[in-house]
Amino acid sequence: MMLAALLLVTQVAVQDPRLERLDPDTRVAVAAVVDSAHGVGLPVEPIIQRALEGVTKGASGARIVAAVRRLAVDLGTARTALGTSAAEAELEAAVAALRAGATPDVLANLRDVRRPPLTIALAVLADLVASGVPADSAAAAVLALAPKARDADLVEFRRAVERDITLGAPPGAATSVRLNAGAFDAPGTSSTQGNPNTPRRRSRP
Amino acid sequence: MFEREDETVERVIQHLRRPVAIDPGLDARVMREIAQAPPNGRRVKLWPLLAAAAVLATVLVVRPWIWNAATTVDTLQFVLVAPQAASVALVGDFNDWDPARSPMQTAHGVWATVVRLAPGRYRYAFLVNGVEWRADPSAPAAKDDEFGTPSSVVTVGGRGS
Amino acid sequence: MGINSVEPSDAELVRRVRTGDTGAYGALVSRYRDRLGRYAVHMIGDREDAEEALQDSFVRAYRSLARCDDPARFGAWLYGILVNRCRTTGARAARRRRTFVHDAQALDLAAHADQADRLDWTDAVDRALARLAPDYREAFLLKHVQDLEYEEIAELTGAGVSALKMRVKRAREQLQKYLREAEHV
Repeated sequence: MMLAALLLVTQVAVQDPRLERLDPDTRVAVAAVVDSAHGVGLPVEPIIQRALEGVTKGASGARIVAAVRRLAVDLGTARTALGTSAAEAELEAAVAALRAGATPDVLANLRDVRRPPLTIALAVLADLVASGVPADSAAAAVLALAPKARDADLVEFRRAVERDITLGAPPGAATSVRLNAGAFDAPGTSSTQGNPNTPRRRSRP
Repeated sequence: MFEREDETVERVIQHLRRPVAIDPGLDARVMREIAQAPPNGRRVKLWPLLAAAAVLATVLVVRPWIWNAATTVDTLQFVLVAPQAASVALVGDFNDWDPARSPMQTAHGVWATVVRLAPGRYRYAFLVNGVEWRADPSAPAAKDDEFGTPSSVVTVGGRGS
Repeated sequence: MGINSVEPSDAELVRRVRTGDTGAYGALVSRYRDRLGRYAVHMIGDREDAEEALQDSFVRAYRSLARCDDPARFGAWLYGILVNRCRTTGARAARRRRTFVHDAQALDLAAHADQADRLDWTDAVDRALARLAPDYREAFLLKHVQDLEYEEIAELTGAGVSALKMRVKRAREQLQKYLREAEHV
């Protein structure tokens, strides 16, 4: 029974022809990670993509294996924080948020205060950090907005912060000023009113 | 006195002549509007216009969640200005990082391709001349690149408004 | 190979657009976006409104491309459309400019004296520019920032060359005055 289950699990990686782009040793190691992830119910596609990225970029086998192992671990951390019902896209975005510096607690808090899917909220968090916003500021801002803001509002928030940073504002200050401006937390209202730098989604004649 | 005035004004002029950062998505919006309403009231078939809309002005990705974050958008235009390039491919989590899957077409050095994506967060990069990796300057950087080359991220989808 | 290719002229691109090559318009947008964008931002003073004006101008130009009598001078024709569009947006945005930067400075720029100086100067210039009468600001920007000849500006704005020279002179004087005032605040 155990053997049958193991064989079934192993087929996931073995049957994926895309992994043939890896050299034999690397393929075996990556397949083991993929199968292991599959065995515990984690999404395997992100892991396969990471391996393929490594191949196309000419990375060494060791580097590819290290990258996919790390990704599998992070996907597991993300799922622990978000719960087993989290979708693959949410888990991938959560990994990005974790790697940006958000703690598992932040992810769990986000899950508690916001209706799924959390993909955009998590992505905005990660992207804010990528723009230079300190991780704790980005997490605090997204958590503050999360209960009420629509995904579109979160995206607008991120764009406004990015734009202010482009204009020369320090990232942390840009985040807090935009947050305190309060233009992004009211669902169903126009979030661009009185706010000169928000992106346009306008209807014109 | 007069000299000082000139100095101040010249300083102002030099200051104002510096480049101004224009939203890279502007080009895409222009081309989209154009695609919706061709000149002289001519009716134009949709696909050629979509292809034309892919020919944009500067280095940019048309990030769908900026265009249309309130709904799930699955058609994206990726654009790179690379006048010196002989070939550009778009590779990422959506095409198995396979350069053969999304070769980009050029018009006047503006390389573009259209990709349909399901909701999710994707890493991607441009491969120029088969050897040179470039991230998308107008998209968030993938901070966790582990292979020593730049990548960008795009997030598709979102809860409806 | 596409390497070292010669850039097609405006006239050539306009010709291609007129024959249905919509993509060629993308090249024109690419060619003019930064130059015209800079004018719109400085003229209107609000980035969001400026980009909207710029976008509208490109779309309007495309839709009325049949009325561009001299495709070799597409740029000048496009300028004219943008100048008009900026006039209609103009004043309402001017007072909103740069409010954010002040907030940011208040928050934590004190520790970065160089950056604070730069932002102070940017702010002072923006405010001085915003105080100019729109036709003075328009003439000043077109002449000194966009580097157009008076004859070209006359064509764009409909004003006479001597009137334009007077506007630019007044603009220079007033900018100097406003900036000197700012120094003493």
